[in-house]
Amino acid sequence: MKSVFKTLTLLLILSMFIVACGGGAEEPAPEEPAAEEPMAEEPAAEEPAAEEPAAEEPMAEVITIEFWHAMGGELGEVVDELVARFNASHDDIQVNATFQGTYDDTYNALLASFDAGTEPNITQNFDLAAQTMFDTGRLVPAYSFDDFDPNVFVPAVRDYYSDENGMVGMAFNSSTPIMYYNADMFAELGIDPPGLDTTFSDMIAKCDEIQAAGVEYCITFGQVGWYFEQILANSGGLYFNNNNGRTGRATEAVFNEGQGVEVFTFLSGLIADGYAPNVGKTWTDTDAVFQAGQAAMIFDSTSGALGMQEGADFEVATTYIPHSDSSDRNGVIIGGAALWLIDSGDDAVNQAAWEVMNFLAQPEQQVTWHSGTGYFPVRVDMDDNPDLQDFWAENPNFRTAIEQLASTNTTMADGSPNYAVLGGKAGPFPAIRQFIVDAYSRVLDDGMSPQEALDEAAEKANQELADYNAFFE
Amino acid sequence: MSQSISMQEASQAQPAKTYNKNWQKVKSALEGYLYLLPSLIILTIFVFIPIVTSFQLSLTRIAPFGGKSIDVGFENYTRLFADPEYLNSLKVSVLFTLGVVPGGLILAVAMAIALSYPLNHLSWFHRLLIFVPIVISSAVTGVLFRWIYHPVVGYLNYLLSLIGVEGPLWLSSKDWALVAVMLAVIWRQLGFNVIIALAGIQNIDSTYYEAAKVDGANLWHRIRHITLPLLSPTLFFLFIINIINSLQVFGEINILTEGGPGGATNTFLYSIYYDAFVGTPFRGYASAQAYLLFIIILIMSFLQFKGFGKKVHYQ
Repeated sequence: MKSVFKTLTLLLILSMFIVACGGGAEEPAPEEPAAEEPMAEEPAAEEPAAEEPAAEEPMAEVITIEFWHAMGGELGEVVDELVARFNASHDDIQVNATFQGTYDDTYNALLASFDAGTEPNITQNFDLAAQTMFDTGRLVPAYSFDDFDPNVFVPAVRDYYSDENGMVGMAFNSSTPIMYYNADMFAELGIDPPGLDTTFSDMIAKCDEIQAAGVEYCITFGQVGWYFEQILANSGGLYFNNNNGRTGRATEAVFNEGQGVEVFTFLSGLIADGYAPNVGKTWTDTDAVFQAGQAAMIFDSTSGALGMQEGADFEVATTYIPHSDSSDRNGVIIGGAALWLIDSGDDAVNQAAWEVMNFLAQPEQQVTWHSGTGYFPVRVDMDDNPDLQDFWAENPNFRTAIEQLASTNTTMADGSPNYAVLGGKAGPFPAIRQFIVDAYSRVLDDGMSPQEALDEAAEKANQELADYNAFFE
Repeated sequence: MSQSISMQEASQAQPAKTYNKNWQKVKSALEGYLYLLPSLIILTIFVFIPIVTSFQLSLTRIAPFGGKSIDVGFENYTRLFADPEYLNSLKVSVLFTLGVVPGGLILAVAMAIALSYPLNHLSWFHRLLIFVPIVISSAVTGVLFRWIYHPVVGYLNYLLSLIGVEGPLWLSSKDWALVAVMLAVIWRQLGFNVIIALAGIQNIDSTYYEAAKVDGANLWHRIRHITLPLLSPTLFFLFIINIINSLQVFGEINILTEGGPGGATNTFLYSIYYDAFVGTPFRGYASAQAYLLFIIILIMSFLQFKGFGKKVHYQ
């Protein structure tokens, strides 16, 4: 008996070492996704080969395009539908779409694939990662293709994913934040719903009115970095120096000055003063608060408009997000994600991958995508599309969302670009966003002032920027 | 290993020709290594090589966009010791383990004792209720408790409001988030702990109890002087398993809090994952953390084995 336990204990000790190494073992992730990849590739390589020879002598070789995306669940089904449509209409190019998990998972798999030489032809990555994607040096920009027409894209979308020469990545799933409100509640209480152009003071006044009428909370929103970024842009404030990192590499965060402080004071104040519940960092937990009628309004993504109405037993209406008292309404930054064309080293393959991206940007696909997922169409010529007219008639909230983007002030009075609404661009932006999340806790838990919390966040952000920029010295 | 040794001894004991003897020795050693080979290959690929490469990675700053890295020597380590967030994550891990392991084990042993004799007429249904969390994954636990803890529409605060208590912000305040995650983890591990403890109790020879009864020992005396000492090997086993599990806890944290608010639930394991894979990946920095974790656990296992191993009462 004793020896049995001794061996058992020894085994346990050994397994503890393995626990300890577990963290380390995860580090060289290259091995793992690389090992998975051939599995994804094989069926694709076989499929066309099995079908083609039966038709006639294979004159032109079929090019297989590997497409990695982060659209799970219902979104993924729409992606599959679009890919099937492409494959059905193209004999010489076949797309093999693979769901890779979250944006982070997809990006980590991409990094690993660079090392292993098994990179996809097209990959999806989210807005904040734009600079990092540029810096991989592995992209073929959209503007390098002859049939690329920058004028078909919504300027805000095009400019967001552009470098100094033009559009690099192709916006795929685009969304912006919007303010939803419980229209029935406002009608019952006899309170006017918020207008399209709302300042912070207007909001607070409205909140006082709503809560005086007995509603638990005025508004609800998760403590993610996004709403700060967007309301900062709407107030004309910059996130990074060098015009938000758009006219040179960002070297400093400037969100702790001027508008940034006003915006963060407003957002953290909504929670601190009891206008909004403290639901922590969440994208989804706020829906239940709003749908249960516990809050009259909610900041959320436009892409959730379908679900927001479906989950509520009242009429959900929408309006633009607010801006600071000391600014005019500027508009919103396009959010979401883009498709990036990874250089395969073979022009024919790159051209084929571009055809896939171009196909997805065509009106027909954009209609399917928008009505199936709620993500924006990225083209300027969609307004008169009869299918979309019908869709918008049924879902007026999308109309508000598109108008909020369309009315975004992308050019200043002097003709220069409005860098605030172009959004920040910096390599470590995803990491820096987390510092704003932490800043909420610094104010709400640790009693810091918004200014102090932002100063601390900016200091950490500057360190990240310095570390990142060191790779280019 | 012990197999091959005994075979060597067996072959040595046999009177055989001398030139054959050496060959036999080599052969049986080879045979032994052959048996070890499959696990050695797997361990080499997934454990030993990563141990080495992760050390190399920890001496570099790797570009988040791949393809570039800067050799920084031990800068990652010096930064770690100056990084309040990392030091905080060590503290969180210790607090978490100190809460989950004793809390979970005391509860489990109490339940196992209750199930084994005072309440041994409980139906299979009652036992099922206690054991059922075993089959639930940590991710599901996370989702379940997210709803239970929700500050506005959660069940827990609703129940508390029925008795006139205003519930705290379970997941979104620094004071409560760690406690909330602990409770979720204790609940998930309870079924496993109770089963093992119950099996240990049922293994104890009933003659001890009979003798004690004859001597006039009451229930408490029997638990204190018979059950607990004879259960100590099982408890030691559970103790180690629970420590491993709570240092490894990931699913609940990832789903309930993502390490927040303000790092209140950011354990060192979660911190490694976060730095390596979330948002902007900092693999060198994460590797340095992984290496420190490796050293910390190495020391801890050694102390644990030295300290507690001897106090266990084997039958």
